[in-house]
Amino acid sequence: MSTTLVESNADVAGARDAPARRRRRRVDRLPYWLLAPSLAIIGVLLLWPLGQVLWMSLHDLRSARQIRGEQPWPWASLANYRLILEDPFFWRVLRNTVVFALANVGLTMVLGTLVGLLLHRLTQRMAGFVGSAIMLAWATPAVTGSIVWRWLFDDTSGLATWAFNALPDRLSGALFGRTDWTGYGWFNQPLLFFAILTLVVVWHSFPFVAVSVLAGLKSVPSDLGEVAEVDGAGPWRVFWRITFPLLRPVFGILIVLSTIWDFRVFTQYYVLAGGIQDRPTFMLSAYSYAEAFLIPPKYGVGSAIAVVLTAILLTVTGGYVWMMLRREDQR
Amino acid sequence: MPNAPRETVVRGRRWLALPTAVLVSVSILSGCGGSDGSAGKPDTSKLVVWMMGDGPDAQKQFMDEVEAEFRTRHPDTDVQVQYIPWLEAPQKFQAALTGGAGPDVTELGNTETQGWAGQDALADLTTRFAGWSEGEDILPELVKNARLDGRQYGVPWYAGVRAVFYRADWFSELGIKVPTSWQELVDAAKRLQAAKPGTYGIALPGNSELPFYSILWSAGAEIATRNGDTWTSGYNTPAAKKAVRFWTELVTVDKVAPPAAAAWNEVDARTQFATGKAAMAFAGSWQQGAMLKDNPDLAQKWGTFPIPGPSGQPAPVFAGGSDIAIWKDSKRQQLAWDYMQVLLSKKNDKKFADSLKFFPVHKDQLATDYSSDRIMSTFAAAMQNARMTPVTPKWIEVSRNKTLTQTMNSSVMKGQKTVDQAVAEAATEMESILNSR
Repeated sequence: MSTTLVESNADVAGARDAPARRRRRRVDRLPYWLLAPSLAIIGVLLLWPLGQVLWMSLHDLRSARQIRGEQPWPWASLANYRLILEDPFFWRVLRNTVVFALANVGLTMVLGTLVGLLLHRLTQRMAGFVGSAIMLAWATPAVTGSIVWRWLFDDTSGLATWAFNALPDRLSGALFGRTDWTGYGWFNQPLLFFAILTLVVVWHSFPFVAVSVLAGLKSVPSDLGEVAEVDGAGPWRVFWRITFPLLRPVFGILIVLSTIWDFRVFTQYYVLAGGIQDRPTFMLSAYSYAEAFLIPPKYGVGSAIAVVLTAILLTVTGGYVWMMLRREDQR
Repeated sequence: MPNAPRETVVRGRRWLALPTAVLVSVSILSGCGGSDGSAGKPDTSKLVVWMMGDGPDAQKQFMDEVEAEFRTRHPDTDVQVQYIPWLEAPQKFQAALTGGAGPDVTELGNTETQGWAGQDALADLTTRFAGWSEGEDILPELVKNARLDGRQYGVPWYAGVRAVFYRADWFSELGIKVPTSWQELVDAAKRLQAAKPGTYGIALPGNSELPFYSILWSAGAEIATRNGDTWTSGYNTPAAKKAVRFWTELVTVDKVAPPAAAAWNEVDARTQFATGKAAMAFAGSWQQGAMLKDNPDLAQKWGTFPIPGPSGQPAPVFAGGSDIAIWKDSKRQQLAWDYMQVLLSKKNDKKFADSLKFFPVHKDQLATDYSSDRIMSTFAAAMQNARMTPVTPKWIEVSRNKTLTQTMNSSVMKGQKTVDQAVAEAATEMESILNSR
């Protein structure tokens, strides 16, 4: 009762309110202080270089001495962008990049989800075994893994060459029109090159998707699916009606991450293509590198290509995140 | 806004302070050393020398001897030699140029000297070179090749040319005589391939430009010619098409090299030959050591013959080799020049060339008799008919960045383009690069 009295007293209430508000404000600020170190690090390591690339893309930079600040930076406005957008080669590179990324995101997601579902059904020991086996692929450094894949497709002593040579001659001849695979250039045709590159990239990235999907499945009550099965829903229906909607946030983040990774594949490309010289198979990352760092360097043009790549990624991922958020709201 | 550009400059610099600092510290951590900013008398306690390649033992031993000789005059200077793989060199140079911490003295492939001089990376050696008596006998074409706009940026160190290595044991077993024309080369390759299952007639470096230039020149074509200020590519001509057709048909029609050869560089091709998978290979004299390392028995089995022309005349060859230059940012240029004089002295030049199976660059030393050396005699003869790639700082972009010639040939070998398409596209792109501002 005394409390009621005290609280009804405006003065006292006001006196109590002030420190409370102050305390609340302090609490409100705390998350920002906690975020500050990471923000500072991201700012220095990410935003600042990003801003710099943007700045460089607006200048005519052709000499390392300009980068060192010993020579002036002539303002180029949008000339670098105009140059690349008017070059038919850029559109070819863009097409390579987009088609490759779409195919790889799709394949990685499908394969990763299937393996995740499999892991969920396996006994604990078996799941542990399969899980660690696929994680080895994820854990293999990109360079090492890609070099091994390149050896597998070596034209004289690669496993692929050996395996195709081991096919019965008649079968091999009927299917591929050739029986002797020794000396066959596996990386000669752009389409075959991209197929092998897809194999390497998907091999590298599906384990992460599989394990994330598994983690998602573990956190969702499993009786829902069982009930649905009892009610006569097939696995296909159970997945699309129950598992997928429940795991939507997980899939969302996985698709965004895969998109980012597959748009800027570089290491695997560099190793399989044997460097930066096979122009028919260029993608934006390799193209940007070639313009900026091969001699004579064109830092401005290279930066402009990198900015275009970043803009595409921001649009794609931003659009996707927006879609996800909107769906969340509707629910 | 007359002030705008100026402000841009200043802001650009400030933005750059940090990455430059990072680059500098990275290069210091990775041991590149180089110029320190100390004012006044330069620090002469060390001299950083960059050498290309993986540093074979013979070269390391030679460099130790050069250092010993140099230190008799500069006892307090520690010479630090660092070996840089050929393919990594452009990145390494660029990082050094951007970060400010480079070598004092460096080796450069002789097709690249002009390009790096054009990037403002090399010190002007015109006066020093003119006052150096031992440089007088250096082959004039090689000296000219290290020049840009009349200034000397490099000094030729050694030269090397290519020929065909062949399995003399297989040739004599089958009674094949050494080919002297394109047709004989193809015939020999076909017979060898038929008689030795599992081997290729020729290990063709389809993704390399330098051996191909011999074929091009022997067909009577040019890479590019300058007329006033304008370059004209020689690729879209009947003679060049004849050369491209011959070179690519070794894969596509004659099938004496496999489809994979479209992507082979010279090291790939050399390895095929050294490991007994090919009967012939285009290779340079300096590659003997590496091939013998792969297969020591080769020494009793191999021979060399000049790259043949279309009809009996040996083909001209590209005069490969290296120059030595002083890094423009070096704070120890006089010390670096003192070192160069020791490294490039006639005596040391000959010693180096002999031990690594190159040729010295001095006219009088080239007159030495090589006829007693079964392998080197072929190369010595070819040296008499050596030529250079176009002398312009833009050439490096054609050769190392856009790899126009390599792409032209390999796209035909891969079946992506016809000869006519490939030469026309290469010619157009070459002219647009060579004639750009």
